[in-house]
Amino acid sequence: MALRVTPGMMQSQLMRNINHNLTRMQGQQNELSTGLKLNKPSDDPIGITYSLRYRSELAMNEQYDKNIAQAKSLLEHTDTVLGQVNDVVQRVQELVTQGLNDTNPQSGLDAIATEIKQIYSQMITFGNDQLNGKYIFNGQMTDKQPYDPTAAETSNADTQQINMKFAAGVTVPINITGNEVFGASSDGDNLFQVLKSIQTALTSNNKADLAAASAKLNTRYDKIINVRSEVGARTNRVELIDTRLQDLNYNLTTMQSNVEDADMAETIMKYNQEESIYQASLSTGAKIIQQTLVDYLR
Amino acid sequence: MRSTFHSIETAKRALFTEQANISTTGHNISNANTPGFSRQRVNLVASRPIEAPGYMRTNIPGQLGTGVEFTSITRVREKFLDDQFRNANRSLGEWSVKADSLSKLETIFNEPSDSGVRTVMDNFWSSWTDLAKDPESITGRKIVRENALALVDAFNETNKHLADLKTDLTTNINTMTSQINSISKSIADLNLEIKRLKAYGDNPNDLMDERDSLVDQLSEMVNVSVVDTDDGYEVSVGGIMLVDGLNAPGTSVAALEAQFNGGGIVGGKIEGLIVSRDQIITDYQSQLDAMVDTLANGEITITLPVGSTYQGTNLTEEQTVTVKGINGLHQLGYLFNTPPATPQQAGDIFVTSDGSATFTAENIRLSQTIVDDPMNIATSMRTEVLNGASETIKGNNTLANLMAGLKDTKFQFSPVASQNGIASGTIDEFYASMIGQLGLQSQEADRQSTNQQDIVTQVDSRRQSVSGVSLDEEMSDLIKYQHAYSAAARFMTAIDETLDKVINGMGVVGR
Repeated sequence: MALRVTPGMMQSQLMRNINHNLTRMQGQQNELSTGLKLNKPSDDPIGITYSLRYRSELAMNEQYDKNIAQAKSLLEHTDTVLGQVNDVVQRVQELVTQGLNDTNPQSGLDAIATEIKQIYSQMITFGNDQLNGKYIFNGQMTDKQPYDPTAAETSNADTQQINMKFAAGVTVPINITGNEVFGASSDGDNLFQVLKSIQTALTSNNKADLAAASAKLNTRYDKIINVRSEVGARTNRVELIDTRLQDLNYNLTTMQSNVEDADMAETIMKYNQEESIYQASLSTGAKIIQQTLVDYLR
Repeated sequence: MRSTFHSIETAKRALFTEQANISTTGHNISNANTPGFSRQRVNLVASRPIEAPGYMRTNIPGQLGTGVEFTSITRVREKFLDDQFRNANRSLGEWSVKADSLSKLETIFNEPSDSGVRTVMDNFWSSWTDLAKDPESITGRKIVRENALALVDAFNETNKHLADLKTDLTTNINTMTSQINSISKSIADLNLEIKRLKAYGDNPNDLMDERDSLVDQLSEMVNVSVVDTDDGYEVSVGGIMLVDGLNAPGTSVAALEAQFNGGGIVGGKIEGLIVSRDQIITDYQSQLDAMVDTLANGEITITLPVGSTYQGTNLTEEQTVTVKGINGLHQLGYLFNTPPATPQQAGDIFVTSDGSATFTAENIRLSQTIVDDPMNIATSMRTEVLNGASETIKGNNTLANLMAGLKDTKFQFSPVASQNGIASGTIDEFYASMIGQLGLQSQEADRQSTNQQDIVTQVDSRRQSVSGVSLDEEMSDLIKYQHAYSAAARFMTAIDETLDKVINGMGVVGR
């Protein structure tokens, strides 16, 4: 037997279909207005786990970016100070060569000794250099002055490194300790010790001692150059990490966008499609509902 | 012998019967939009002819018809479709409630967003990295403190929302139980009236429709089984008798819950509500609790770098130690000191409000000592004896780095969390898997409730096909009955004219 069709049936079927169309249209509308296809976990339960990971990695990278900026500025500052140390040591080398010259009268040697004395305190100033209120050459004891202005040759800087985190599991030491630059108090070529010896040798006009000190100064000079190139190498490493972080950020943002963002062209197209279907269902509905036999009976 | 006025009687019966037909059609048209109404039909039969078989019959040949009469007015309805509708309606009730609860859970967890738990967690970890840049500063510590407070608030608040949702569901269960009882009472009342009217031999169609419509309403809430007895409907849920003929013993929340636990309740809004409250939300609460407890207390393995002070000695090579969560790690750190005071070991970061050893999203708090003074947040893991006095090295940021590293450290989760499927993993992984699970459940519930809605509409449409009022049909019937009525009237006129001939026109021959 053919199905008996009643207005109630038609009406509820129509309502159901119109509702379906409207729900779909609302979904598209939501995607359009938020620009996201992932608005709640049930939109894409698998995607949401990725989305959460991308978002938190991006947030951490933002922090690592700040760390890199700070590390770079510390390394640059260290390099500048080491450059100055380098210049001053070169000046000492010149002075020593001058002092070793036999033609100098004692008064000339004394003048050189006075300059060496100035350089000695200048070196201590370098050793006690601060950035943002922190001593840069005293390892982790950033709040303590590493070099005693009166007896720097007996002072030792803290030898521990300050590590900074630039990515999950990537920590890089960013400080140079005073002992690496100026030598430990026990080292034969401790820069302060060498300066003191030069000064004494000049005052007492002891050429043999001066020559010995000059040799030690040269070995220290080589070490300073080594340390400086290490700073350069570390700066490179941090810059490399920075570049990698930028690349990673770009990739993460792309992947996040793939998971979360709506494809506008597609969504607009779908929306228009849904809208016309909805309107069609409304207008056919209006035609179906009003007609019964009553309309045609006299 | 037939009577003179026999045909007048026949015509009158026809008029009455057609009138009954017309009235019933009118009744159907009036109720075209009444929910639960079934169309009614007048059942016509030819009335008993005269000279019915018997000893007293005359010898006239043939049986003379006496016209029409109606024996009953019945409703057109199929019980099978009612049962089908109620089954589908029950599943719809269950899934629509579950879908609703799960979508509320999604709103509570509010992911993906920039204000959910994930964001405050990230802020917390990154504030430690920030502090590691400047371990000497109080500013960095304040930022860590504020972010830790935000994290604790986020946990507390999420927990409160979950608890509130549970309370709402309990209220709903209570309301629905009284609704079930009041509907049961109405059904029992209708049973009584229907029984009374049936005793007179009538079909109380409209009352029966009303009763079926009430059972339909019940079926959305709970799985009812209906038995039609002499006393009317017997309605029961599992082992609970809701309507026992003329009485409605009703039920209580406790009885319904007992039935649920015993497996007597399958489907219906009540089941959806109880499952949402006792299983779904409880599951997410315990997962969140497990996450919080693990964060504060869960076992982690970390590597201490060279130079760190561990158990009184400074390490000369890396050492791997196992500590209990963020609190255990923080306790390895040293607070800043001014000699001659000796370095203090740091305390807990998180504490429980009730002193319990187990952390939950509800009882986790930031330690009051840290709230009062952020300098109680440790960053250093190194002490040295300087000038004869032991001192914490301020520039050491080992602890801050290790804290920040916890974001990527695998925690051992307590067994309760194994429903999540993660026994060991990072906090982020645990949380993501929890949100993923929520998404899957919600998607499933959405799909199910849409499906069930379609099924219910379809079954209802079948019912409408059988019982619904078709105006076209009623109109054509109306025309049919109207014509029949007119014809019966014409018949009456014809008899009238014949009688007129007999009474007034006869016996006057030749006048």
